[in-house]
Amino acid sequence: MIRFILLMTMWLVALPAFANQSIPVDTGKVEASLVSSHNVVPPGGKFHVALRTALDDHWHTYWRNSGDSGEPVFVDWKVPEGILVGDISWPLPRTLATGPIINYGFEGTPLFPVEFTLAETAEIGSVFIVEADFYYLVCKDVCIPEQGKASLPIKVGPAEADTRWQAEINAALAATPKQSGIKGTIKKTAETVIMGFTGASSLSTAQDVHFFPYDQGVLGHSAPQAVRMGAKGLEITTAADYIWDNPMAETLSGVLAFTENGQRVGHEVTLAIGQSIDLGFAAVKPQAVGGITLLTAIFGALIGGLILNLMPCVFPVISIKALSIAKSAHGERSAIKREAWLYTAGVVATFLLLTFALLALKAGGSEIGWGFQLQSPKVVGVLAVLLFVIGLNLLGTFEFGSSLQNTGAELTQKSGAAGSFFTGALAVVVATPCTAPMMAGAVGYALAAPAAVTLAVFMALAIGFALPFLLIAYIPGMISKLPKPGPWMVTFKEVLAFPMFAAAIWLVWVLSLQAGEAGVLYVLAAMLAAAFAIWCFKRKARPVKIIGVMSMLAALALSVSLYPKQVALSHEADAWSAARVSELQAEGRPVFVDFTAAWCVTCKVNEKVVLDQARTRKLFGDTNTAFLIADWTNKNDVIAAELAKYGRAGVPLYLVYNQDSVSPVILPQVLTYDVIREAIAGK
Amino acid sequence: MRIMKKSLILSVMSAVAFAVPATAKISTGSNVADMTVVDSNGQTHNLSDFAGKKVVLEWTNDGCPFVKKHYKTGNMQKTQKLATAGDDTVWLSIISSAPGKQGYVSGEQANELTVSRDASPTAVVLDPSGTAARSFDAKTTPHMYIIDEAQTLVYQGAIDDNSSARSSTVEGAKNYVTAALDDLNAGKAVAVSETAPYGCSIKYK
Repeated sequence: MIRFILLMTMWLVALPAFANQSIPVDTGKVEASLVSSHNVVPPGGKFHVALRTALDDHWHTYWRNSGDSGEPVFVDWKVPEGILVGDISWPLPRTLATGPIINYGFEGTPLFPVEFTLAETAEIGSVFIVEADFYYLVCKDVCIPEQGKASLPIKVGPAEADTRWQAEINAALAATPKQSGIKGTIKKTAETVIMGFTGASSLSTAQDVHFFPYDQGVLGHSAPQAVRMGAKGLEITTAADYIWDNPMAETLSGVLAFTENGQRVGHEVTLAIGQSIDLGFAAVKPQAVGGITLLTAIFGALIGGLILNLMPCVFPVISIKALSIAKSAHGERSAIKREAWLYTAGVVATFLLLTFALLALKAGGSEIGWGFQLQSPKVVGVLAVLLFVIGLNLLGTFEFGSSLQNTGAELTQKSGAAGSFFTGALAVVVATPCTAPMMAGAVGYALAAPAAVTLAVFMALAIGFALPFLLIAYIPGMISKLPKPGPWMVTFKEVLAFPMFAAAIWLVWVLSLQAGEAGVLYVLAAMLAAAFAIWCFKRKARPVKIIGVMSMLAALALSVSLYPKQVALSHEADAWSAARVSELQAEGRPVFVDFTAAWCVTCKVNEKVVLDQARTRKLFGDTNTAFLIADWTNKNDVIAAELAKYGRAGVPLYLVYNQDSVSPVILPQVLTYDVIREAIAGK
Repeated sequence: MRIMKKSLILSVMSAVAFAVPATAKISTGSNVADMTVVDSNGQTHNLSDFAGKKVVLEWTNDGCPFVKKHYKTGNMQKTQKLATAGDDTVWLSIISSAPGKQGYVSGEQANELTVSRDASPTAVVLDPSGTAARSFDAKTTPHMYIIDEAQTLVYQGAIDDNSSARSSTVEGAKNYVTAALDDLNAGKAVAVSETAPYGCSIKYK
């Protein structure tokens, strides 16, 4: 007690020169005191007084929203009338985990500054007291409510800052999360809330992102916050809490915290409810998409391109080319190399054309993906007719000007070059419908990346595609491995006509889904016109040839006059929509979403081999799993956007929302029964 | 082939990486799954045994300042007596503190606490493994749940609307549990069916 009086006296005597801090109060686990930015404040002047709390090691106090448990720090200020008291400038909180419980709070020595404004009428030379009753719950594994009282004298007169405490208070104020240019939105779907943040370039490089809501009940504090980076901002998906079922204000606020250049920062953000913003996910940065790096993507594309050669629609074209090279094998090696390079040039040029078309569409704001060409029935129609014509050619119905099976002697240099180039281009055109599983990731990555990266990946795809021929030309032993040319080649070539017809039939079927019965009629008529044109060309008479040209034009005209039909509404029951998923989840049912398209081979194989099987249907029945189809056969921006959400630029994509999952499980592109069963069971 | 396999594994891994762990909160208005618990006298109860009655669950920890606030002021005892006055409501106080953690008690100690605090729960459930707490996604002490006669969860959250551990805050606070039971007894739907629980964290293992 004597010590206390002594201290008190010393402090009062030394007042003007003393650092402006109240006598520290030891409340148990915390040593608390009041500190002021100023010793002397002029009338009408502003100053800050902060509650400074030095916590024992590993003990914590709580932020304005304490999280799952706990209680915020509370201060009751008592000042003479006429002094304006502001709100606490809360420090940036951190998450504190105790078992499965997440709290928002502070360790160390947090400061809770408050701005005071002195009345204009304050009398110069007078002294007033700032007094605080404070209370906080301080916790480690157990909690202790502690409280205390502290006071601080401030003199009225010409401003005199307290350098020691002003620096600490200013640092605390600078670190307080404030409104910046960051805009935010929040939206609830099913059991999750999705928040979008944009408006600061630092967002795209932010690390350890966490959103702290000011209010309880908005989101599950202990639920993980899944963060996805876009070019224009970032998105956080987490579990929704109960507030969403109650009447709400139009906005919610909180603090978005992240690490920027090694520094922890926080921004106060007001979230517009029920809205979403463009976060630039179409242009996601390389490292952000599912861990695929540029090198992996290029390698994947290279392998994917190689595999494309084996696709049923490509194989015949390639085989013929291989055979024509085998034939030249007895000629000069340089000629083979030249052919291989011309073929590669054809492939690369066509891929370049496709890439530029893709980039142009992307720049135009379209949501596009791999296989986008086949979303237009016109392209499908032209391709079907083209495959049919190639089939006829393989059967020997007619020969192209620079026919492939001709012995080199009849060919001029020029037509040989054109032939190789044309074969390369044709191979690419017929290959596009076939998405090799390996390629989807790489292409998805490429489409989401900047233009230069898109180009690099597609070029890797092109090189991979052309690689077999380059290998044949450059690896010495390879040519001799090819079968010896002979009469059998004619038979082989004729046999290859049938996969071509099969591919054409498939495309006609695709058309029947895209453009309906009328579409089938048009394309079959176009095939008839094309066949008639070919017959006409074989006649000697000039007028007949003219009829042939007209017939060919008619075939083309018929193909390009195909239009997508309206999707029948009767299909709506099983049609995918984000809202439908939410509804079904709310009913407690697992949901399987099949992102598919009629022109997607992998999708059709999965549907035939796995999804359409009796035991899969039984599995869905037994687990009461709802089956939703997102049909991307025709252009659909909503589906494209959903695909992009999962880093995909094309179908197939299979999602399983099991009963209690926040985000869906993404199944591999090649489905098996067991994979589906485990995903539904939530394993 | 080896490289191909590797990159295939890579792409599958990247797809799997999107999966996020689950949370298990029971949504208000949905049915409560049956649960078997053991009380302080070693007796076993099934939640389904209480079908046809209302069940109040109170997560508690006698060392927690928030729990102390409600027992020292007599508020929790009052709420219990009001609730169990008729024969149609069962009150289970549940202790989920893990052994060695604050609030962990033996059956005997639990009974002593009931006597010394003049509390009147139907039974005190001992849940040191935290199984019951996890199945309800209980966060705090106190954390209150009300299950109706049809075993539907009709209320979850705080005991009242003043989320402080200070004793002075009991008076004048709106007691959500009493209000919800009044609504049920009047044959009405529970007006406030979910609130943010407040208190100490449950001392999970």
